[in-house]
Amino acid sequence: MTVTSAWLLLVALSAGSTLAAVSGMTGPALALIVLALAWAKAQLILNRYLGLAQAPAIARGFALALALYMAVLATLAAAAG
Amino acid sequence: MTGTTDEEGPLWNLPGDLMMWVLIVSELAVFGAGLAAFLAVRLTDPAGFAEAQGHLHRTGAGINTMVLVTSGWLAALALRAVQQGHIARMRGLLAAASLLGCVFLVLKAGEFADLSAAGISFETHVFFTFHMLLTGFHAAHVLAGIVLLALVAALATPRAVEAGAAFWHMVDLVWVILFPVVYLI
Repeated sequence: MTVTSAWLLLVALSAGSTLAAVSGMTGPALALIVLALAWAKAQLILNRYLGLAQAPAIARGFALALALYMAVLATLAAAAG
Repeated sequence: MTGTTDEEGPLWNLPGDLMMWVLIVSELAVFGAGLAAFLAVRLTDPAGFAEAQGHLHRTGAGINTMVLVTSGWLAALALRAVQQGHIARMRGLLAAASLLGCVFLVLKAGEFADLSAAGISFETHVFFTFHMLLTGFHAAHVLAGIVLLALVAALATPRAVEAGAAFWHMVDLVWVILFPVVYLI
C-alpha cells in the first residue's frame, strides 16, 4: 500500500467516525465503532506514514498494545453507558 | 563465540532514529494515560460530561482530523522527495504540511475562543479541565511540529526530514485517538 492509498483510507475512516457520531447512535455501540475506527487509523499511520510495515515484529507489538489500550477505553466508555 | 551483526538485533529494521521512537512511545503513554483518566472520571458524571461535550466544535474537530491526516500524507511524500534528491519538492511539501498545521491551530483557537465567549473556562466542569489540558497540550505539539518542519526543510537531509516527519506523524497519531474519545463518545 502506498502512502497515498493510506491517506485516502484515513480520510474514509475519519469520515466514517464522524458519520457514526452524527447518525444518532450513542452509548457503547458508538464507542465501539469509533474506537475500532481509531485503532485502524492509528495502524495506518504507524505502518504506512511512520514506516513500521518494514519492521513486522515491532508493528505487531504496537498493534497488540494499541488494541489492548482501545479495549480499556471501550470498557470505560461502555461502563458510563 | 558467535559474533552478532547490526542486522541481528531486534530493532535493526526500525525506521528512523531509535530516540524518535522513544519520544513517540513516551508521548503516546502521556496522552494515553490522560485519555484513560478522562474516561475514568466520566464514570462519576456521565450526564455532565455529555452536556459539556455539546459545547465543543465537533464538526471543526472532524475537519481538523482530515487536515492532520492530509498534512501527514504531505510530510510522508516530502520524505520520499528528499530521499530521491528533490529538495525543492520536499520543501514545498513540508510548507504545505505546515500550512495545514496552521489551519488546525486556527480551528482549534476558534473553538477555545467560542468556549471563552460562552463563559466556559478551565474550571467550569472537569470535562473542560481535561479537554483544555489534552487538546491544548496537543496543540502545543502541533506548534512545535510546525517549527520542526521548518527546521528540517532548511537542513534538507533525509535523516533530518525523516525525524521531522516522524514527529509530525506522532502528532497525527495522538489526534486520531484523542478526537473520538473527547469529541465523539
